[in-house]
Amino acid sequence: MSNDHELVPVTKALPGMVLSDELLDSHGLVLLAKGAVLSEAIIASLGRHQIDMVPVARVEAHRAPDGAAVQARLDFLFRRHARDGDSDSDWAGHLLRRYVEDYRLERQVAP
Amino acid sequence: MMVTFDDLTAGLDDLPSLPAVVMELLGSIDQEDADLTLLAKKVALDQALTAKTLRLANSSAFGLQVKVTTIQQAMTFLGFQATRNLILAASMTGCFPSGRCPAFDDKAFWRLSIATAACARVLARHMHFNQDVAFTAGLVHGIGRLVLVTRYPERYDAVLRECARADGDLLETERALLGIDHVLAGRALAEHWQFSDTLRQAIAFYGQPDMPGAGFLATIVHVANAVAHALDLAGDADEVVPPVSSVAWTALGLSEEAWLQVFRETELQFEEMTAILLA
Repeated sequence: MSNDHELVPVTKALPGMVLSDELLDSHGLVLLAKGAVLSEAIIASLGRHQIDMVPVARVEAHRAPDGAAVQARLDFLFRRHARDGDSDSDWAGHLLRRYVEDYRLERQVAP
Repeated sequence: MMVTFDDLTAGLDDLPSLPAVVMELLGSIDQEDADLTLLAKKVALDQALTAKTLRLANSSAFGLQVKVTTIQQAMTFLGFQATRNLILAASMTGCFPSGRCPAFDDKAFWRLSIATAACARVLARHMHFNQDVAFTAGLVHGIGRLVLVTRYPERYDAVLRECARADGDLLETERALLGIDHVLAGRALAEHWQFSDTLRQAIAFYGQPDMPGAGFLATIVHVANAVAHALDLAGDADEVVPPVSSVAWTALGLSEEAWLQVFRETELQFEEMTAILLA
């Protein structure tokens, strides 16, 4: 599989994702053309066609993020939510910070 | 000299107004017998507005199986309320002139508003709340800033410069230098433009969702606004994540896995919508 697309489980597919290849049903008929944009309705219908995985284009070239630069920007954005501050009063801000860090730095998150 | 509330409301008539047909749509919210065919025809007379509305209706966020090509069709497939909100979004993003207040970055303002709208829509789906109302509320939550920029460009320029210099709180700086803040200005404009009570409440309370009577929409917009700042989508070098209410955060009750999906979906819809609305 090349670098510009990836296979994602239908359960992880999101509206807005773009198909990187045509999608065939179990009889070999074309369900969706290459380049089709997924919507909620389309994703729901894939389940009905017993399709488990969809090939989608990666959002931008999927480079590993430059961890240090990303972390520095996040530290700046969250400068009013000090990591070691009195976390009792700002725990929601802390959670948002942790989740956005996990998201940007692509840390593995336990389901 | 400080600006008074009366001074502010007296000048609302001088503000750029929404197209007449959009005002009419806003006024017809509670009208059971609104003549949709006639309204659709009136909107269709404005070609730029129609084109923007239809591109938005056909974007993946709305998940239509068929492409709609007329306002009438959009109303049939998406419903009257959803279409009305799209027309409002399409008309508002082009309605305020830019450039009179150098420190105000109107592109960044709309990018933040659209990011908040996209996130509010995603959150509303998780909460089984009306997604169209959440989208519109997210889009208009900061509209008071446009009132201040348009009415008092030089003085608002000074507010923004001071805020950037001291890395201060925007609302506090507005109150200290101007005497009023953008939440108050937003409430005044929402009343003047005859926004629904629900939207007015969201504009008034998005910064204080814990206040009694703030309503759940204010909770959604509060968190969506914080997420939009945290995802750094406005493209503002001085970006800062505002306070996040623990009460509002808890009320949404989402797991970390759900939040990461919300972030991803918000970014995808944001890209698509900015391409349409800020074209």
